[in-house]
Amino acid sequence: MNEMIQNARVLEVEGLTTEFRIDGRWYPAVRDVSFSLARNETLALVGESGCGKSITALSIMGLVPRANGRIAAGRVLLEGRDLVTLDESAMEKVRGSAISMIFQEPMTSLNPVLPIGFQVAEALRYHTKLSEPQARARALELLEQVKIPSAARRFSDYPHQFSGGMRQRVMIAIALACSPKVILADEPTTALDVTIQAQVLALLAELKVETGLAMIFITHNLGVVASIADRVAVMYAGDIIEIAPVDALFRHPTHPYTEALLASIPRVDRDATDLKPIPGQVPPITAMPQGCRYAERCPLREPRCSAASPPLVALAGEPAHHARCWVRSGGEGRAI
Amino acid sequence: MSNAILEVESLSKTYAARRGFMGGQIAMVRALSDVSFSVSAGEAFGLVGESGCGKSTAGRAILRLIEADSGTVRFKGESVFDADAGRLRRLRRQMQIVFQDPYSSLNPRRTIGQTLSEPMRVHGTGSAREISATVHEVLGEVGMPRDAAEKYPHEFSGGQRQRIGIARALVLRPELIIADEPVSALDVSIQAQILVLLRNLQQQRRLSFVFISHDLGVVRHFCRSVAVMYLGHIVERGPVPAIFDEPLHPYTRALRNASPVPDPAAKVTMAKLEGEVASALAPPSGCHFHPRCPHATDLCRRVYPPWVEVSKDRGVACHLYPAGSAAMSENRETTP
Repeated sequence: MNEMIQNARVLEVEGLTTEFRIDGRWYPAVRDVSFSLARNETLALVGESGCGKSITALSIMGLVPRANGRIAAGRVLLEGRDLVTLDESAMEKVRGSAISMIFQEPMTSLNPVLPIGFQVAEALRYHTKLSEPQARARALELLEQVKIPSAARRFSDYPHQFSGGMRQRVMIAIALACSPKVILADEPTTALDVTIQAQVLALLAELKVETGLAMIFITHNLGVVASIADRVAVMYAGDIIEIAPVDALFRHPTHPYTEALLASIPRVDRDATDLKPIPGQVPPITAMPQGCRYAERCPLREPRCSAASPPLVALAGEPAHHARCWVRSGGEGRAI
Repeated sequence: MSNAILEVESLSKTYAARRGFMGGQIAMVRALSDVSFSVSAGEAFGLVGESGCGKSTAGRAILRLIEADSGTVRFKGESVFDADAGRLRRLRRQMQIVFQDPYSSLNPRRTIGQTLSEPMRVHGTGSAREISATVHEVLGEVGMPRDAAEKYPHEFSGGQRQRIGIARALVLRPELIIADEPVSALDVSIQAQILVLLRNLQQQRRLSFVFISHDLGVVRHFCRSVAVMYLGHIVERGPVPAIFDEPLHPYTRALRNASPVPDPAAKVTMAKLEGEVASALAPPSGCHFHPRCPHATDLCRRVYPPWVEVSKDRGVACHLYPAGSAAMSENRETTP
């Protein structure tokens, strides 16, 4: 029974608030964010620059810079254990083994003066008791699993000898090395060309089926979300403003921001309909408005929107679909 | 043809790249091979392709920001490559460029007003008072507040900086704008604002565009016709909805299928294109695309396919469409 519960929810983020200090005052960059992640599930965190999606990932990994950042509230439960309370040495053991991360730019995350096989093996040596030959053998298996062509021959090659797509595969191999429960992928395909992006997305989807991975996939690209995610959380100005299964989100976007975001994407599969840009811009972190943070850009704005922040509530008849909007999901019976 | 504002014929450019230890060897990179297209007055013409396909080199070669090895470029019938320094300056007034990253292309130590008036001072168009009036007028036209002229680039967001980059291109009242990935660095909601701005400017000023992008959705939205480039060659060219809805060249089709669409029902065809873009240092023999092409034959491995006009304004370089054959019926077999 206990194991079933653990299987259901590998990661739970509860009420996470992460703040940064600017000119001596603390401002929340991520505000009261909650979500859970199940085994074999990919949750996309989507939003524009500064919405808090990457800060959410850094908070989960315990990588919020201490000089001017802090987790002010909330829990990050990995199989029931709260990572926020762990000290740095305990957290180091979690990072790269139970949770690992894939970054946008593989060239800056790989060490340029070490062969790639060594770098994969290093992760194993650090986190497991494998001997060096065992670690090397396992590293080669991993490079084959991420479909590096002639992996054995390229084992001793250096990062600069690999293309961007192949480097990202190496990063994925490192992330997989210790069979993590959760992978956090932060814009992993953003720097890649579209045909290579499609290959990496296909690889990640395959690995999910093979290993039952739980993945948080951070991206600004709703097209990528549609092809990789099981569930989607849309973030705006530090809040999750809508969270839903992927089909429901695209079929029935409910928060006006989600709707506007979808209407502002020029699509390759449709004739040039008029793009509808969102007027204005995201308020700066130091001057967040009272009430709904999207209100000043929102065509549905009502007086109550600026008065108080709307709660994230389930829509009527769609228990898995939540939105944070007074107008669209506000009072009882008003949900559409 | 008399309608064409820009005619590009057989443009070729080879770079010498240093390779090997301490750059001891010199390798030749064929950045542009026999690139031809024309842009009608008031038209937006797209150049699309992945990194290293030569699309930016083509844009710069047209303006002689880099010198092509061979080929001709005619702007309103006048040869750009044969122009002496004085004529070139006059031509450049009519042909301006907008870059991807407005931050690195704006001088951080100059006010926006100084940056925008410089082209007019260099070209000697008008008195100080007229220049200042134009700066304010153009700032208004791109949706910037009047007081922007006294501010510095760092005081603006990415979207505003791109508006300033566009304003700088407009102050000389050009007829043609080469826009090199002008919205790629921007968030989608801001991208849509800039696309709408460019569309309005195009209509109000009857501007022509060479619009360089890797994003097929953006090209479909903004351009009337497009050329698809692969490793320095144009592989297909034609009118915009048709080329994406019924791609002829297998590479165009692959690019189209790999482009993410915000619709879970239309998942990126994970029947992915095998392999990666080959190095421009050592392009494959014959058709450069053959190692990745599902239809490659022995002929494709040996001979680069000739350019075939399949209809009045549509052409393709692919052995699947031999000259004089019923090319379109072939297409019907291979696309669903």
